[in-house]
Amino acid sequence: MNGSDHIRWSEDLAAYMLGALEPGEAAEFERHLEGCERCRGEMRWFEPAVQTLPESVERQKPPRSLRENLMAEVRADVRPAKKPSPQWSWRPAMAFAAMVLVVAAVAGYEIGKGGGGDEGASTVVSRSHGITVKMVREGDGGTLRLTGVHQLPPEKVLEAWVRREGKVEPVPALFVPDREGRASTQIEDMSGVDTVMVTEEPQGGSEEPTSPPVVTMSVPQ
Amino acid sequence: MAVRREKAERLADEELMPLVGRKDPEAFEVLYDRHGGVAFSLAYRIVGDRAAAEEVTQEAFISVWRSGARFDAARGSVRSWLLSVVRNRAIDFLRSKAGKAPKLDFDDDSALEQRPAAERTEEEALRRETAGEIRGALGKLPGEQSKVIELAYFGGFSHSEIAEILSLPMGTVKGRMRLGLEKIRGELAEGLA
Repeated sequence: MNGSDHIRWSEDLAAYMLGALEPGEAAEFERHLEGCERCRGEMRWFEPAVQTLPESVERQKPPRSLRENLMAEVRADVRPAKKPSPQWSWRPAMAFAAMVLVVAAVAGYEIGKGGGGDEGASTVVSRSHGITVKMVREGDGGTLRLTGVHQLPPEKVLEAWVRREGKVEPVPALFVPDREGRASTQIEDMSGVDTVMVTEEPQGGSEEPTSPPVVTMSVPQ
Repeated sequence: MAVRREKAERLADEELMPLVGRKDPEAFEVLYDRHGGVAFSLAYRIVGDRAAAEEVTQEAFISVWRSGARFDAARGSVRSWLLSVVRNRAIDFLRSKAGKAPKLDFDDDSALEQRPAAERTEEEALRRETAGEIRGALGKLPGEQSKVIELAYFGGFSHSEIAEILSLPMGTVKGRMRLGLEKIRGELAEGLA
């Protein structure tokens, strides 16, 4: 990268940061940016100035309806409308679940207190199908942590399920694995839960499992 | 159940984002409560109308909710990322509105058709520019610099459109943008000193 080349592009830097380059120009500038440390340095220096712009606007009080409508849409996304009969079971997935339970039983569980950054919390670990499952109990709730999960197609998410007194309930917080195959979700109420299961479900989750479980874990009482 | 509201409130924005990515409404609600005000204000500053600003802000936050995992902490704070999403939505809104109904600004439709594009754009630019008062760091800049920054950032105009609107060479427009940002940056550095 010679000096005159940098100066030429440097003239476009402010316009780029203000979103004022045409799309083709912006793409060309970004290609230059990848190889020009000086431009990247200048960008870092200018960044706070650009960030000041949205902060400098006169504050307006948002209408209450904005928050209400937004959260209504968000909650509708998380949980589709309930079906009339709440007495469903995870029968469609039970056969596979039973098989996985056997695998889990063979693999065995490690149960302990604390350690691994979860000091004071009780943990249960099991392994099945190449996935390590760790349940960290904290107070009434718990965190389910999976490692070794394969990447999901974009239209799929992971959904956890708990069985309590023979009834299966979905866990509202859907989750996806990161690039390293790690995934976790919070289970707020673990009281009376004897089994935790995870399935792949369509975006937005399901009211009952629609696929065989990728993980099934018995939870000691 | 998702993380409790009180727990979510204790988390930093960067810690909330993975939860939002996992579709946790409580985490998302906290994110909105922290940044919804400035987001709405920015949308209002750009579109100049409360109902439109509400629509833009809601769309922006919903897009964040549905693509929360796309936030990259290495590229800046959650707040600046959120505000850039809001700005982009607001500018898109302005452009689509200008594309669909520019005739509303004029009484004579046939006259509009005969007017050069630059003139129509100037009318629109003036409307956008007067939508709000220049404040803060921008207000301390010389008018010629704040004007090009305003038109670019809040108006969504490209440097070539601004050059046309202000009848200036493109190089001058880019130069003023750079000078303006340098001055704002200098002010910030002095404030920190």
